[in-house]
Amino acid sequence: MSLEELFKEIIIEHYQHPKNHGHMEHPDAKSEGSNPLCGDELQMELCFDGDHIKDVMFTGNGCSISQSAASLMTEAIKGKTLEETRGIMDEYKKMLQGNSYDPDILGDLEALSDVRKYPARVKCASLSAAVLDQALQQKK
Amino acid sequence: MDIERIRKDFPVLSRIVRDKPLVYLDNAATTQKPAVVIDAIANLYRQYNSNVHRGVYLLAEETTQAYEDSREALRRFINAESTQEIVFTRNATEAINLIAYTWAEATIKAGDEIIVSIMEHHSNYVPWFRLAHKKGAAVKIIPSKTDGTFDMDAYKSMLSKKTKLVGIAHMSNVYGTINPVKEITSLAHKAGAAVVVDGAQSAPHIKIDVEDLDCDFFVLSGHKMLGPTGIGALYARKAYLESMEPFLSGGEMILRVTLDNVVYNELPYKFEAGTPNYEGAIGLKAAIEYLESLGRDNIEAYERELTAYGLEQMQKVPGIIIYGPTDPSKKGGIIAFNMEGIHSHDIGTILDNEGIAIRAGHHCAQPLMIDCGVSAMARASFYFYNTKQEIDILVRALKKTKELFGHVA
Repeated sequence: MSLEELFKEIIIEHYQHPKNHGHMEHPDAKSEGSNPLCGDELQMELCFDGDHIKDVMFTGNGCSISQSAASLMTEAIKGKTLEETRGIMDEYKKMLQGNSYDPDILGDLEALSDVRKYPARVKCASLSAAVLDQALQQKK
Repeated sequence: MDIERIRKDFPVLSRIVRDKPLVYLDNAATTQKPAVVIDAIANLYRQYNSNVHRGVYLLAEETTQAYEDSREALRRFINAESTQEIVFTRNATEAINLIAYTWAEATIKAGDEIIVSIMEHHSNYVPWFRLAHKKGAAVKIIPSKTDGTFDMDAYKSMLSKKTKLVGIAHMSNVYGTINPVKEITSLAHKAGAAVVVDGAQSAPHIKIDVEDLDCDFFVLSGHKMLGPTGIGALYARKAYLESMEPFLSGGEMILRVTLDNVVYNELPYKFEAGTPNYEGAIGLKAAIEYLESLGRDNIEAYERELTAYGLEQMQKVPGIIIYGPTDPSKKGGIIAFNMEGIHSHDIGTILDNEGIAIRAGHHCAQPLMIDCGVSAMARASFYFYNTKQEIDILVRALKKTKELFGHVA
């Protein structure tokens, strides 16, 4: 297994230059989560427009996998409907669990596909999905 | 010390992991086991296993003897006066909890103070924090100096008549700092406080003499010194153990039980309720004898050389930040570090890919992480079976890590 598979350029790029990073003035939903054993931290803020995700921002601290996953996730769901977002998250979870998934739905998030070969790191990649899940639950 | 020959005593060290020879540098977490330890445990179950202190048959005598021989080996290993002062526990954490739930529970009152250092492992912090909270006592934390050593002046200024207990790591599991326990103890005693020394990191590496340290309690974990998991020990002065209430109760810890009375067993059995982990104790004895056969002075001298080499080589890695003392005479073989712009978990994964096992995370020492302003660190920790060549492999892998992540903008 080569390291370049896990630490793809796009992952390093999103880690070093995260997209949608920061806070918004009036978020409709806010959530946070952490991996207490390793110290990864993530906060997410969402702004809705009807059943669309109008805007999403994140802040956090942690490894390249957890932080790039958050950056890639925000890119993937921005402007999408809630249903589309759920679909992306489902495929993402399938990928991390080692099940078959639809790469077309995942887009750039597929860069994280090799994380599943490192079981100790799967929780790093899962954090963004868990935090997003919490935020979406606030939208009723 | 003939390290190549010594390495052959440890079956796991010849493993290939991720297509590379294993470089095991997580010895502060747990150590690998020599064949003599593995065999001692297998022999017990193949040849003489029985419960201890119960049967009147030969097997029971043999197992009981082996269990008690281990206690004697441990007494000798830390130079305690009597085997009555050696209580087997699961590990250092359980030994500290034993003190917290018995002696400290009965002694600490509202308004009292417990002093611990910022370098403590959670095991020598959380039990005191909980107890203080329950009793209305306070926990005071001794900072470390900028070079990662113990701040004696700060400690002196904290000691007072209110101080009832001082908890101190003999060797930090993050910085590797060897703390001046003898002086700490002497000052604590003048203030009327008892001292708990966490020897989980020191006992495997440096000569322990509890009489010389003059501490009241000393705890250790067997698995960090070549022994199996699930066995550790509490050393406590006899006078303390005599005054203390039992921790757990049940079988083994009693002398006599009638319908209306219970008489506790003599020391140290009063503190060993239930069938003990004699398997662990028997493995630990083999570990102690192995360490003694190498010579503890030899181990200490070789590890110092290894630590000096590790510090020197690792400091050459661009962008590395080393925490704790960089003077090898002030520390054991533990080097905590980070790399600029690269999280310790990423370092850990990249090193794993090179066959190198290190620890990444908060090392169960979050107060120290907060003090350093980081959430996690990477840590390489050595034992006598490591080599300078392995340190070279580590350093090469760290340079590769740096390259992979490129230059952080």
